[in-house]
Amino acid sequence: MNYLPDGVVQQILSHMSSAKEIAVTSCVSQQWNQCVPYLPSLFFPRGAFDPHPRGERPHPGADVTIGRMIGNAVRLEQLVIYCPFSPSNLGTWLGCCEKSLRVLELRMDGICEKGDGGNRGTILDCVSVVQELETLKLWGVALMGPPNWGCLKKLRTLEIVGASFGDGALEKAIHACPNLVELALLGCDGVSSLKIELGNLVKCRLDFLGHGDSYLYLGSPKLEDLEIQGFGGIWIKPNHRLKRLCIAKTNGRVYNVDVGDNLPDLESLSLRGVQWCWSAISSILRLASEVKHLLMKIEFCGDFEALLPFPEVDLVNFFDSHPKLRKFEIHGAMFAALCQKNSLINVNPKFLIPNLEEVLVIVRSPLNAEQKLNTLESLVKHSPKLRRMVIRISQMKNTHDAADDFFEEICKFKCLNNGIVKIE
Amino acid sequence: MAPGKNITLKSSDGEEFAIEETVAMESQTIRHMIEDDCAESSIPVPNVTAKILSKVIEYCKKHVEFAATKPTDEELKSWDTEFIKVDLNTLYDLILAANYLNVKGLLDLTCETVANMIKGKNPEEIRKRFNIKNDFTPEEEADIRRENQWAFE
Repeated sequence: MNYLPDGVVQQILSHMSSAKEIAVTSCVSQQWNQCVPYLPSLFFPRGAFDPHPRGERPHPGADVTIGRMIGNAVRLEQLVIYCPFSPSNLGTWLGCCEKSLRVLELRMDGICEKGDGGNRGTILDCVSVVQELETLKLWGVALMGPPNWGCLKKLRTLEIVGASFGDGALEKAIHACPNLVELALLGCDGVSSLKIELGNLVKCRLDFLGHGDSYLYLGSPKLEDLEIQGFGGIWIKPNHRLKRLCIAKTNGRVYNVDVGDNLPDLESLSLRGVQWCWSAISSILRLASEVKHLLMKIEFCGDFEALLPFPEVDLVNFFDSHPKLRKFEIHGAMFAALCQKNSLINVNPKFLIPNLEEVLVIVRSPLNAEQKLNTLESLVKHSPKLRRMVIRISQMKNTHDAADDFFEEICKFKCLNNGIVKIE
Repeated sequence: MAPGKNITLKSSDGEEFAIEETVAMESQTIRHMIEDDCAESSIPVPNVTAKILSKVIEYCKKHVEFAATKPTDEELKSWDTEFIKVDLNTLYDLILAANYLNVKGLLDLTCETVANMIKGKNPEEIRKRFNIKNDFTPEEEADIRRENQWAFE
């Protein structure tokens, strides 16, 4: 390799980002050592400075080493620090690479715990000097007050995981990033209501722990992919381009979902939760007429505290209103709602579920076995393209009297439709 | 630039390779020559031997094909991995050729392969594997080792 020109050695070494590997390569030869300042990425993994004392206190030499390597870098584009570090140094470090840095990822577990409310925003204020920043990912940060980011015009991707927010801090932080294309806020708390208006946002993931009645207002005309958990009331400004929508709520109730007048581009819809108001479910199902992939895992209905079962759903109507359905996943209580005698009595022989290819049904209760089987049989009978039906039996109490009958029926059904039906 | 037109590349050792223009244009260097009308009937590639040039052409042909057939990421990766199973000297020559001819995909692939060979080795192992002379003075080497001692722990 000693005849490879500097530029080529640099190309090769640019495919390394681990700070340890880079430190080792600088000891190989003069040429390699001189290439190191031109490398574009530095990644300090969680255990970079082990086996010295673990825990939140940084290794004494860590900050010096990190500072030296960042300081030496002439055109650092990507900086990822997962190991513990002293946040007071962050300003200096970012100052060294403010002209070139495009990607910044910091793990800040526990670092912002100390200090009073007023000071907590200041640690991340220094991010404002990195005007070329395109991607910012923060782990375990506490933003008690709004950070002074000015305007991060070039920021396209913002991801914050495991964060606590003070009042208004999150909205101000997002406000500082008007051109975001991708936003992910996962495992976050401290927010009871969130209003987001972003003109370029295409993909959004929000997972909030928290209050029963928190609500979300989201206005983004280019929005295509939305995944949310933790909101009871959801308003999405009409005139978006949603192709994929997932709404979940692991505790508490979803009481309102308003996504405008139609969902013409929606291909994939997933509704999950413990309890949803029926009006929220039915309104969104009604609008999702073009959907190809539908997942419904909601345990109860009810507009108030009381947990109620679902009203009947006419099977023929349901599939007629969602003609493009290819993949269908339905759990427990909602499946029971589809299994109604009446909808199958006078089925028009021309009734077809034209595009259905895959079905996954999760059954918890052995009750009404005959009706459930009728429904499954109808699905098979009226779906010319059906390739796979999986019946997953989950948490069924085998001491229940009806359980044995249920299993017998289900196994008979499987044998009649071998090749398509599978039981798990 | 008529479709289906052929370009001839001439290696440093005089061998000629006739290839489709679309394949030749995978090389940004050659692309600029064609677009600037500097390309004569036969384009000399002085730094690249026939053995290496044919390998580069094989890469370019396959990747032009991939652009049309749109394979899965796995299929692509699988082909690239097989393609790059060559000895170290050929790998160097491919890096230099890809650099000179400016074929980005091939340059990334070859550099990444070499970088993966470097990872996990200490400096002495790296020098031995790649035949690199240690040109530090003993004092310089001691300084640099000390500065980077943390990486050896």
